[in-house]
Amino acid sequence: MGSNEITRKDIRMRSCWILYVFLIPATILTFIFSYIPMFTNIMAFQDYHINNGWLGLGSKFVGFRNFYFLKERWFWELAGRTVFYSFTILVTSFPLPLILALLLNELKNQTFKKFVQTVSYIPRFVSWVTVAGMFYIFLSVDPSGVVNNIKQAVFGGERISYMQHEIYFLPILVISNIWKELGWGTIIYLAAITNISPELYEAAQVDGANRWHRAIYITLPGLIPTFCILLIFSLGGLVNTNFDQVFNLQNQVIRESTDTINIWVFYKGIRAQLFGLSSAVALFNGLVTFVLVMTGNYITKKLNNTAII
Amino acid sequence: MDINTTNAKDNLAVNIYSENPAAVSKKKSPSRIKGSTGERIFDILNVSFMIILSFITIYPFWYVLVVSLSNGNDLANGPVWFWPRNFTLNNYIYVLQYKLLRSAFVVTIARCLAGPVISVGVCMLAAYPLSKRWLPKRKWFLFFYMLPMFIGGTVISNYVVMAKLKLLNNFLVYIIPGAFGFFNMVIMRTFIEQIPIELEESAMLDGANYWVIFTKIILPQSKPIMAAFAFFSVVHNWLDFTTTLLYVTKQSLYTLQYVLYLVVNASQASNMIDITNIGESMRRLKENQRAALPTPEVVKMTVMVVVTFPLLFVYPFFQKYFVVGMNLGAIKG
Repeated sequence: MGSNEITRKDIRMRSCWILYVFLIPATILTFIFSYIPMFTNIMAFQDYHINNGWLGLGSKFVGFRNFYFLKERWFWELAGRTVFYSFTILVTSFPLPLILALLLNELKNQTFKKFVQTVSYIPRFVSWVTVAGMFYIFLSVDPSGVVNNIKQAVFGGERISYMQHEIYFLPILVISNIWKELGWGTIIYLAAITNISPELYEAAQVDGANRWHRAIYITLPGLIPTFCILLIFSLGGLVNTNFDQVFNLQNQVIRESTDTINIWVFYKGIRAQLFGLSSAVALFNGLVTFVLVMTGNYITKKLNNTAII
Repeated sequence: MDINTTNAKDNLAVNIYSENPAAVSKKKSPSRIKGSTGERIFDILNVSFMIILSFITIYPFWYVLVVSLSNGNDLANGPVWFWPRNFTLNNYIYVLQYKLLRSAFVVTIARCLAGPVISVGVCMLAAYPLSKRWLPKRKWFLFFYMLPMFIGGTVISNYVVMAKLKLLNNFLVYIIPGAFGFFNMVIMRTFIEQIPIELEESAMLDGANYWVIFTKIILPQSKPIMAAFAFFSVVHNWLDFTTTLLYVTKQSLYTLQYVLYLVVNASQASNMIDITNIGESMRRLKENQRAALPTPEVVKMTVMVVVTFPLLFVYPFFQKYFVVGMNLGAIKG
């Protein structure tokens, strides 16, 4: 037996250098596209010019001078709006996939259930550019604007150019987010439902539990761990709005008053090339995200001994 | 109430309601009839809700299609709802003349072909060694790959690195930087761990090395998971808009989503499509029908159909893979 184990080990170690060769592409890619940018973050502490030395990191260090924005009013307005937007979007759309999954689970006709599922996944296969285009046409003031057509037919009154007023921007973000993400979000819950032990349902049925009881006392609690883990994943998103979503639904008329941090970073950093300031803002944002994710992870660890890492 | 069994093959959960005769007979027993009125009302409401939900999901697509098939000038006469009032295909003939759209098609298809191959290849190559729990220094590698999930570069530092690597305005920027994904690799690794080890061991006794095992055993056995990730990679490559926005300014490298973005945000038709450049067929069309050029609104919707719909026809065929990845991810945790 013992010698058998040794030969086995010998055999598997014989060409094991090849296994390390397999790791080379992933290692190089991770190093170049994750570790080098991580290291390049020190540009936030420099008077950065892209042509100063390797990666521009030969630029002069200026300490925390780029972080002067922390004392500026405009930054806190920007940050406040970002948190307000992302918090509103999170609260309004986060529980919905769970509810939809429970309702889908109660459908009796399997063909119909399959159909609804297939349909509800469609928006996942559409870009935010397309969603923005749809909102553009639906909210248009022209006769092709469906929402204004309905509004006039029901309430009468003026046609409103919804996309041009900042007060409608957050509702548009919320609605577009629900429309796009709701169906796809159910997948993970439906998968979790199939993992609930059937014995629980059998036992409950023996005890005379009806459908409602089974849904509330078995299925729902079975989904809570998944719900918590997803919630913690999205905690980090509290200081980050979805770039594609906000960027595409904005327009020049309302841009200044609806910018969120990552949009601002894009315009100031990539477009206006203010590298020092914008990387400082982005780094600060990243730090807050990191702290939020770690806090969330700590909380779950305490609550149900299942941590992400 | 039935549990979907199609993907539950590997799970312990089995559909108890449809398979278990006792459960079925229970439904018919008198004690169950009591709550049945309430249940029936719930069922009706539930089904109605699902129908409304499906309608809200599908209608925007239908409406965009209707507008793209309408005569733009006629649209100004009043609302259309479910059917084009003045059916025409001219918008499509017009839009397909658009040179930028054609080159964007080529670029997007190229990245949809190259992206999945590179990405799945790199991830599988890394997943196989990391599935060997005895491999020395395995934990080091895992930590190395995982750390960037939590701390990484910002948009700005990424941009600077791309610029210095000469990846700006380079087709490779679409393929290389995102090729390795930690989560994808972990899910693939979980899948590989489920392949019976005996297959490998007997091959090893026959003198096969790890390269042979990888290509002759692991890859063929991993087809389902590779298909799933290749599909999601195609979806990602088709829908990606930000990469072009951040790193590409050269027109010949624009992707479909970026061209759509330009078209949707252009305020005038002349900004959208260079009318002086329209091709022969369009000129003939104009002469024959004395048709005015399509309005900006209609052009926008037509480009949207051309860019969006191809993927929608592909995805239902891959639906069975959606849950596979999710379940494996859950097993890992």
